[in-house]
Formats: sequence, structure tokens, C-alpha cells
Amino acid sequence: MKTAIIDKFKKISHNLGINNKPTYVVMAIAAVKGICRPTFTMMDKKEEPKTKKYTAIREGLTELIAIPVYWGLGEASAKIANKVLPEELKKQGAKNCMFLGVCVAALLVIPGLCSAAIKPIMDKFYNNEKGTLAKHLDIKSDAPEIPVKNIYESMPVVNRPSLHTFSNASQYGMKVGGV
Amino acid sequence: MIQGIARFLTSNSLNNITSNTNSQVLMETTLKSIGRPGFILIDNDIENDTKKYAAAKEFLYQATCLLVYAALVVPVFKRGAFKLAKKVFADSGIPNFQSLKQYNHYLKLCDSSLNNRQRTLEKEIKGVYKTDSKGNKVKKLVKDEYDEIALNELNKENPDKFTDLKGAIEFGNIVGSVFGLAILAPQVSHVFIHPALKFLGLEDKKPKTKNNDTKLDKTV
Repeated sequence: MKTAIIDKFKKISHNLGINNKPTYVVMAIAAVKGICRPTFTMMDKKEEPKTKKYTAIREGLTELIAIPVYWGLGEASAKIANKVLPEELKKQGAKNCMFLGVCVAALLVIPGLCSAAIKPIMDKFYNNEKGTLAKHLDIKSDAPEIPVKNIYESMPVVNRPSLHTFSNASQYGMKVGGV
Repeated sequence: MIQGIARFLTSNSLNNITSNTNSQVLMETTLKSIGRPGFILIDNDIENDTKKYAAAKEFLYQATCLLVYAALVVPVFKRGAFKLAKKVFADSGIPNFQSLKQYNHYLKLCDSSLNNRQRTLEKEIKGVYKTDSKGNKVKKLVKDEYDEIALNELNKENPDKFTDLKGAIEFGNIVGSVFGLAILAPQVSHVFIHPALKFLGLEDKKPKTKNNDTKLDKTV
């Protein structure tokens, strides 16, 4: 058992020593965060259940978006570098480009995608919930509908005095002081 | 222009950052602490107070991540992995590096040319004195701390970087990063963020969620 673990450790160390891709660590962090952050949020006893659920789904979705974006953008950048760079610089350049791809993903792509995609998804989740609630309450009444007549429509229009325009003084004739 | 970009993309300094998990994570977390609050602030669908609150919270979370990372990963996981690797790879002909710092120094020397390397080894001194054969006190050279195997390698045109040892350190770094950023940082931030937001005067402005349950739903 112990030897098997040591052998595994040696193998991982050997592979990471030769090629430590910048995507490995960010994807590992995103994967564990995607599991742990929502779990911790749901374990919080101070928050309301509805808020907890909302926050947990949001956090999970953020990391779910992050994993493929890190991988995709990293690999795509490396492939572009492999096509563009001369043969002798390919190996070093591809790895550096992969790192730059990961940086762009962290700075722009993931926050942008999260801002654009998460809100509609969350709205859909919560609108659906409201929809199901409305369905339960949607009871058809058998009672006949009584027509309600708008009696105010037939009444004559009366110009009522307003407090702002009301004046006790007469509105015609000559006045002392010209007021 | 294209040559300049190619030179930057293949530069040694960028390569040093790329091959080091520590700098990768630090860079990524720093970018996150700029990008995420930035995108919250430019979102026009959110109210001003809510934007400020959410952006400050996200920034503080990423700052906590950086602190946790700096405090935990390098001193604990990286050094722990180095010690473990020294034991595991004891029979693999790896030099007896006294510390992680010494191994990093060795890697730096490996990246320079043979001439530069030898010049550095002859000149670079350690702030510790030693007594020579005549009994005089002379400053100790950094070279004196390396063992035979390491010195032999450093005199070669392409010295062995002992990638297994490097890989083991990177593995420790990844494990530490995952533990620090995904498990420990959310816990620490939970304790730290709310007082910090209160101190900044943003906690009171926290948007109250609409309590739909208390409203009577009149649509039947």
C-alpha cells in the first residue's frame, strides 16, 4: 500500500516536473471550489434557506463555467502559438501562451460570461418556481360573474375648486391697489 | 512588431512564471480580484448600492485568498513537499539541497549560460564567515554550500534540473493551492469579510431581499 502511494507520488512528480501546464492548477482549484463553496454556503445556519440556495447555485455555476473556459482558452492559445511560432520556439512559446490564455480567461472571459449567463439562468430557475406556485393557486371558480357597471362614467363632470386655486376675493371688477 | 511579440512569448522571465505554480496562482488570483469586481461595477442592470456592495465583497474575498495563499502554501505545503521529495527521491542521485531556497537558486543558475554561471559561483558570497587554511576569516561563497553532485552538474553546459524534485514541489504547491483557496479561504473570508464591509460602511447598505412569502398572492 505504502509503496503504491510512493510510486504514484513519484509518477505524478515526474510528469509535473516535465510538463506542468498552467491549466492544471486553475482547473483543480475551480473543480474543488465548485464543490466546496456551495456546500459551505448551504451549511451556513444564519442565512435564510432561499438566500442560501440562490447563493449556492450561483457559486456552483460560476465554477462550472470557469472549468471549460480555462481549459478551452488555454489549449486554444497553445494551438495558435504552435501554428504561428517558429519550430525552435514552439515548446516554450506554447506553454507561455497557454498561461496568457488562462490569464485572459481569469481577467475577462469568465467574469464576462458569468455576468451575461448567470443572471438569465438564475431568473429561469426562480421564474419557474413562481410559475409552479401560480399553478397550484390557479383554481377555476364556478360562480357566475356579476357584471359591474361603472356608475362614475354617467355622472356629469363638475369643476370642483382646488385649494391651490381657491380665492375668496372676487375675480372681476376694479380692486384697490390693483390686486 | 511580430518579432517583439515572439520574443516576449518565448522569454525566460515569462517561462519562469509559467513553470511555477506559485506565480501562476498569484497572478490568476490578482487578475480575478480586478476582473470580477470590475464586471460587477459595469453591470447596468444592478442598483448602485448593490453594485458597490457586491464588488467590495468579491474584492475582499479575492484579497483573502491571496493572503491565505501567501501565508499557507509557501511555508507549509511547498517546504513540506520539498522535504518529502528529498526522502522519496533519496536514492535517485539528487544532490543534497539544504533548503528549498537553495534548490531555487540552483534552478536559476541552470537557466544562465555556463560562463555566467561559473562567474556567479566564484563571486556570489554568503554573509557568513569561515576560516581558511591559513586561519584567516573569509566570507563564505554560495558555491561552498553546494555538494559535489550539484557542482558537477553546474559545470556542465546543460545541467540536470532534477525535474522529479521540481515536480514534487509543484505537486505540493497544487495541493496547497486547492486546500488554501477552495477550502480554507471561504472559511476565513466568512469571518473577515462582514466586519471589513461594516468598517467600509457598506454592510448597512446591503440590499434587503424581497420577502415574497409575506406578501399575499392575490392572483387566484
